[in-house]
Amino acid sequence: MDLIVLMKQVPDVVEELVIDDDGKALDTDEVMYIPNELDEHALEQALLLKEQHGGKITVISVGGDEAKDALASAVAKGADEAVYVEAEMEGQCDNHKLASHLDGIIKGRTFDMLLTGVQAVDDIDGSVGSLLATHMDLPYVGGLAKVSADPGRRVTTVEKEFPGGLLGEMEVTFPAILGVQSAEQPPRYVPVSKVMQTKKTLEVEELGDELPEVSGLAIQEMVLPEPAERAEMLEGDGEDVAARIVELLQERGLL
Amino acid sequence: MQDEPTTQSLLPEITIDPASKEATRDYLRRVIALPEGQKIQNCIQCGTCTGGCPHGHVMDFAPRKMIAALRAGWIDEILTSDTIWLCVACYTCAHRCHAGIELVDHMITSMREEFLIKGAGVPTELQSAFERSGRYGNPFGESPRKRGKWTKGTDLEVRELKAGDSADVLWFVECFPAFHKRNQEASRDFARILNALKVDYGTLGKDEWCTGDGRRLGGEKGLFEVLYEHNAAELAKREFNEILVTDPHAYNALVREYPTLGSTYKVTHYSQFLMDRIEELKPLMTKSLDLKVTYHDPCYLGRRNDIYEPPRELLASIPGVKLVEMDRNREDALCCGGGGGGVWLDSFIWEHTEVPLPEQRVKEAARTGADVMAVACPLEVSRFEDAVKTAGLEGQLAVKEITELIAEAMEPS
Repeated sequence: MDLIVLMKQVPDVVEELVIDDDGKALDTDEVMYIPNELDEHALEQALLLKEQHGGKITVISVGGDEAKDALASAVAKGADEAVYVEAEMEGQCDNHKLASHLDGIIKGRTFDMLLTGVQAVDDIDGSVGSLLATHMDLPYVGGLAKVSADPGRRVTTVEKEFPGGLLGEMEVTFPAILGVQSAEQPPRYVPVSKVMQTKKTLEVEELGDELPEVSGLAIQEMVLPEPAERAEMLEGDGEDVAARIVELLQERGLL
Repeated sequence: MQDEPTTQSLLPEITIDPASKEATRDYLRRVIALPEGQKIQNCIQCGTCTGGCPHGHVMDFAPRKMIAALRAGWIDEILTSDTIWLCVACYTCAHRCHAGIELVDHMITSMREEFLIKGAGVPTELQSAFERSGRYGNPFGESPRKRGKWTKGTDLEVRELKAGDSADVLWFVECFPAFHKRNQEASRDFARILNALKVDYGTLGKDEWCTGDGRRLGGEKGLFEVLYEHNAAELAKREFNEILVTDPHAYNALVREYPTLGSTYKVTHYSQFLMDRIEELKPLMTKSLDLKVTYHDPCYLGRRNDIYEPPRELLASIPGVKLVEMDRNREDALCCGGGGGGVWLDSFIWEHTEVPLPEQRVKEAARTGADVMAVACPLEVSRFEDAVKTAGLEGQLAVKEITELIAEAMEPS
């Protein structure tokens, strides 16, 4: 089975985000990057599929230099081929541009399934998978919590979680593009020594072309949330506070 | 007539997978190559290690049995058991071993390393401590830029040494004292003491990363080395005469491990540092505390590094402190369960044990009739405070870092 995993780097919100002077983007000097968590789930799901059915995983990692670290870590975990797609933060957040760019990169490659995180925390847009599927005229299903495969029949059975605790099971024919919400198990750990070892011999295919000029998203303004004085702190001893909580719940018709 | 049992039927049929046998050989070869690693061959199976192990009774392969199993070529059986994550690296086994086998530093740590390289899966909390330490230089996932924020909101002056700066003493604060809300109180108290003693000191500020001793003992040697390289490089940019530590695990890493990687420093734990200045400290402690205090020996100050007396002498010098001992003290002290990555294995360990180690220990402390259980390791404060609550000892036993008691005695009476 040939699998492709798409990953990208996103700003780490452990650091406070700073908006640059023109008010339309993050100040990238202040940003620390980490791999998008749901993409790590996509990789984990791909590794589980490979363990079950064999085959090859190609990881395509988008971002700055940090994206190369993500590749080393992915290969140390068990991926086979590494592709680095250099992209500035700004372009990376425009999913029309990004999908169009990735279409050009992926087009010549054969695969049975392409897995990616269902969305990334930088834009919470969740459209790269579906836009890519549109470009490539392939089926797309997102929000997946399980992916299993029947390579003989060339189909994948996926489980999708719907609101209200509903679980849908769907069969999708190869080749398919899948948006992973969570892998069947948490992303595995790979020790630092193994990543270092991998880095020594890692061959990365580097693709540094400019992102295409396609009409997509235009950011007009970026602002930080403003703290408002909306919280009412309840003072007093336990009895007073409990009585006030009951009162508040009754006022809102919740009791 | 019933058949007589044959020798064959009395003995279980043991087949050893040749691959497991080979993997065991590889592992043993690696252990033997470590300094004094060949001592593992001297095990006489006396069982002293297992007898002293605080979790030996719930391990499938307690230390003695682990060595026996390795001799039989059973590494896969050990690796698929829960045993290796039940060790809290308290060092009791290694301390008592007549053959001088490094059961913790060599055997368990290498076993965990083996486990990690095989990708066999790490208990989740420990995994995130590994990942966060690698990414942020601290296991809490806090912004590295916020490491010096523990003085925020106070008028405390704590100098952050920049590259090129010098001070007599470099205070290596460490992660728990810098980031953990409860430990920050003790850090502020210690800074007050250092300021009152007019010590010329400074910290690495945001350039300090975790020494990573817990990660090393958790089997993440590569991560430990990355943390070492960062710290050694940052330390090299400053001039100082000695490193002062608040955390026995930092003491252990800096004294025992960093020299093996190429960096040797003069390192002092705060209990030694303050005892060296006791004549200047005594006049500052004017308030009598009127407390009965029992002292808990941290594993990596006591058993691992033989520092038993300075903390006791320091406590005894505080006005109004009456020192009482628990039954198990000094080299026999029971571990708080937080070492060797144990602080991130609590959920995993508690699934296997009936009474968690910190709860056993606070009960021992309470039996002495002490008002306060004094500690000298940042891991212990919150672990024992939680245990005081679960053991129903709230209001009876308080847990304090020694520095907190000293600072209290320095307050105007």
